[in-house]
Formats: sequence, structure tokens, C-alpha cells
Amino acid sequence: MQIQVRCNCGEGDCSEWAIIELQGLVESQTSIGDEIRNLEIGRLCHSSCLEGSYTFTVGYHELTGTKMILKKPLLVLQKSKTVVNGGDKRGELQIVGIIRQKILFKTRPKALISRSHVKERKVLNLRSSNAE
Amino acid sequence: MKEIDVHDANSNAVPYVENEHLPNEKWKGGGAEALLKMEKDASVSVKYHSNFGSHDDLLLLEVDDKLLSEFLNNRITIRGQPNDEAVLCTPSTTYALKFVGTSNSVFLIPAGEHNSLNNDVASNNELAEARSVVSVLKVASGVMELVPIAPKLDKLKFLLKERLYTLEEDDEMDMESDTHNRGLYSFQDLRDLIQASDNELIAGLESLSALEINGFWRILDKSITNDVLTMILRNAIIHEWQISALKEYEVLPMLESDGYPLKIVIHCLNTHGNKSESSENGLLWSLDEKKLCLHFAKQILTSKKMKLENFMTKWKSNLPTEMNTDLTILEGEVLCEKIGMETWIRSFSVSSLPSSPQERFATLFKERPKWEWKDLHPYIRDLKVPGVSSEGLLIKYTRKTQPTEDSEPVFSAR
Repeated sequence: MQIQVRCNCGEGDCSEWAIIELQGLVESQTSIGDEIRNLEIGRLCHSSCLEGSYTFTVGYHELTGTKMILKKPLLVLQKSKTVVNGGDKRGELQIVGIIRQKILFKTRPKALISRSHVKERKVLNLRSSNAE
Repeated sequence: MKEIDVHDANSNAVPYVENEHLPNEKWKGGGAEALLKMEKDASVSVKYHSNFGSHDDLLLLEVDDKLLSEFLNNRITIRGQPNDEAVLCTPSTTYALKFVGTSNSVFLIPAGEHNSLNNDVASNNELAEARSVVSVLKVASGVMELVPIAPKLDKLKFLLKERLYTLEEDDEMDMESDTHNRGLYSFQDLRDLIQASDNELIAGLESLSALEINGFWRILDKSITNDVLTMILRNAIIHEWQISALKEYEVLPMLESDGYPLKIVIHCLNTHGNKSESSENGLLWSLDEKKLCLHFAKQILTSKKMKLENFMTKWKSNLPTEMNTDLTILEGEVLCEKIGMETWIRSFSVSSLPSSPQERFATLFKERPKWEWKDLHPYIRDLKVPGVSSEGLLIKYTRKTQPTEDSEPVFSAR
């Protein structure tokens, strides 16, 4: 069996996706339940003085990170099935995007101590782990 | 195929997508551009996408820049049977797909402007606000990496040996059509069955001396090659042809009149000789002495072991007298052993051994617990593992002992 990897966008014209990567997990507060679609995770700011430096405020945590170019790009592939000659389904992988850059927050978060801030953004809290 | 089985009907995670219908519609509006082009001092709101979910049909594959253009030009396929580990093939190389997990949160943000608002009615303010939102579609648990591997060609020989080509089958071509093609494989069939890139598959077919007949890749029954070569040598003596310069216009009609199809004769010449062109005599074929010697040695040693002297006599008698029957030609094809005063020879061909180093060494040490380097070398020199030298293989799979400083080292199992 062969699965063709397809790219419909043509060379150099793949839509560019992006990654925001941080340590640990982001969890929504239990009161929110499972429906987290459209929920705000946090606010990302590009530093005013340092090009490529970012802060990401999630709940009452602040993370500092940088934009980096991936050593090797990542392709975003989607598995799909197409119908070929009358009913046979054939697997296919389609390139739907390419990722060349990510914003990486590799340090542990800093707690923001302002109380008003905590109230404003208490919908989310961030549990950080020691992983990586 | 494990890892990326897109054929598994039980997998609910794989959505069924009609052809022509671009699957990425539902992911519009991730806002990746806005994120990557943020001005200094600007800020964006990071949200979960309105279609946020596990999206198991989405994979991230790490690809280096060299390979990227192969992907963008549709020259990549994934190959394997349902029980194989999937491999990825470029036209020339085979790669294993390795999943590398991460415990970090990797938020995947699709391309496209945020479209939560209808552009017609939205005010400039609202549009500006929409542009300052980026949406996370999925949290990726890791990425797939590509690791170059040796093509898995062992199965190729096995498949092609299911039904060797015989001269009689040309007369039986009117057989019922469903049994007719059983055990026969076209190049397209082989692509589906063999985990190797196209170039590696072609090289594999060449090394098996396979031939495309009526659209199927075949190995000739040994007796055909033997008969054709014997006939050529016999005719060469009768008609005083030169083995190093056989004139095609003389050889082909002669063999054809004896009932050998031209295509088969040319294939035998091709696999046992070289072609050149002369202005006077047209195409000339020079039979390769080593290949001829090897062929007849294998032919003699098909069944059991023989006393070396009997073998040598028989071998020489099959070949033109001027040919040099030297045992070094048979490296990697035969083993000699001393039993009492006699030396015996028997067939032990490297091409019949497994191609994975671990299985190869296991088979070799089952055959003989101890190997001298000169005997061992012909049976391992073809092993190729990307990133591992042949010394590395020896260290990994053998124990080297040297009774005294100037004696030959002996290799045994680890």
C-alpha cells in the first residue's frame, strides 16, 4: 500500500502556521468545564525594546520567551481518505501548512502579585511542571 | 501501517474527506501571520480556536530543508502493508518515521486571518481587534522525525521467486485469467508491497537480475540462463566466435532458432557481459569471465557438498579452457572445509542471507561458530547501516580473539 503525500499549494507557497511552546500544561479552572473553545488563554506581548522577546501572561503567571527559527521546518500533514475509481477509499496525506518559527517559553513562570490582576484573569491558571 | 495508518476503517479520528474539497477550511483564522509579524510593543490575545480539539488527523513532521522540495513537488510516498511500520520514501531514499513526544505544551496555530467577524458589517475597530487574536487549534503531543534506513528488500526476492519465468509458460498464455497473473508483480505492485524508494527498488531488481516480461518483473528459472549460456559457449567453439567479442547479429538468430526468445537471450548477455558497438560488426557482446565462472560454479553446486578436486574438474570442463577458474571468484558464494585429508566445498551464498545485521550475524554463527576474517568478510561487506561503520558492526555483533599476536584474528558470536 502506498500513501501519496500531496501538496496542493505549490512550491514556496505553503501557508505558514506557528507554534507557541511552553513548559508544563495549561489548565482551565474546573468551573469552566470542558467547553474551552474560544476561551482566552492569555495575552502575548512583543517586548518594546528587545526584538524577538515576548511575554505571555496566563492567569496570574508571566512567562518570558523568544521567537526562534526552527532548525528544521515542520510540515503540518492531514490524514484523509479520497475515493478512487468507484468506492475504493485511498489514504492520503496532505500538506496543509509549514511551520518555520516558534515562540518558545522555556523558563518557569513568574507569579504576578498584583491582586487586581488575579481577579481579572482568574478564568485560567497555569500549572507548571518540571518537565524539560 | 503503524504510526500513520490512514487506511484503518475503525479509526474514528480520521475524518472522511471528499476529494477536491480542501480539508483545511475549518481551520481558517488561526492568525499565525499576525503572531509572527507582531510589531514591537504590540500584543495579541491568545485563545482556543472555535474548532479546538485533539485533531488526531493532524501530524507534525520534521523535514530538513534538503527534503522540503521533494515534499512540495509531490515526490513523497508512505509505503508499507498494514502490519509493517510505515516508511517514508523519496525517489532515492527510505526513511523510518519516529515519533518524538514532548511534555511541553505545543500550541498549534493555523494560518489565516481571524474570521470571527463578518467583514461587511464589521467596523474598522472590530476588524483591528479581530486581527489581534491568535487561535490555538490543537496541542501537539510531539513531532514525527525522519531517520534514514536501509530499504527492506528481503521480501522482493521472496515474491519474485514465487513464480520463476519458464519458457513453457509462453505456450500457456491462454490460461484462465484469474490464475494467470497470480504470483506476478508489476512495478506498481512492488511499490505497494516493498518498503523501498523507487531507485532502491530498481537497484534491488537489478541485483536479482530480474527482467520485465509482459509488464511483470520476473526472475528467470536457473535452467534458462544455464541453457542460454551453454548454447552460446558451445556455438562459440563450433563457429569460432570470440567470447570477448560476440557479434549480436550472429548470436541472436542462432539462439532464436533453438527456441530462445530474443528478449531472454539479450537479458542473459546483459547480466553476464558487456555491450559495445563497432562500426564493422554492429553490436558486440563481451562475456564477463568472472560472471561466467561464477554461474557455472553455482550450477554445479546446487545440491550437496562435493570434494574440492571433483568440483574443480567439473567446473573447468564447463568453461572454455582459457578461462581462469580461481576459487577467489567464488568468495561469498561457497565455503570450503577440511574433513580429515579431504577438502569439501559447498554452496553458501551471501545473497541467500538476511540483510539485517542482527539476523545476518546470527545466521553466520549458526553456520560456523568461528570465522576467520578472510572467510567472514565476503559475507558481511554488503551490510550497510546508515551511521554505523563496518567496524562498529563487528564490535556490536562479534567477539574478536587472537591467540597470539601475529596469528589471524578469529570472530565468534557475542
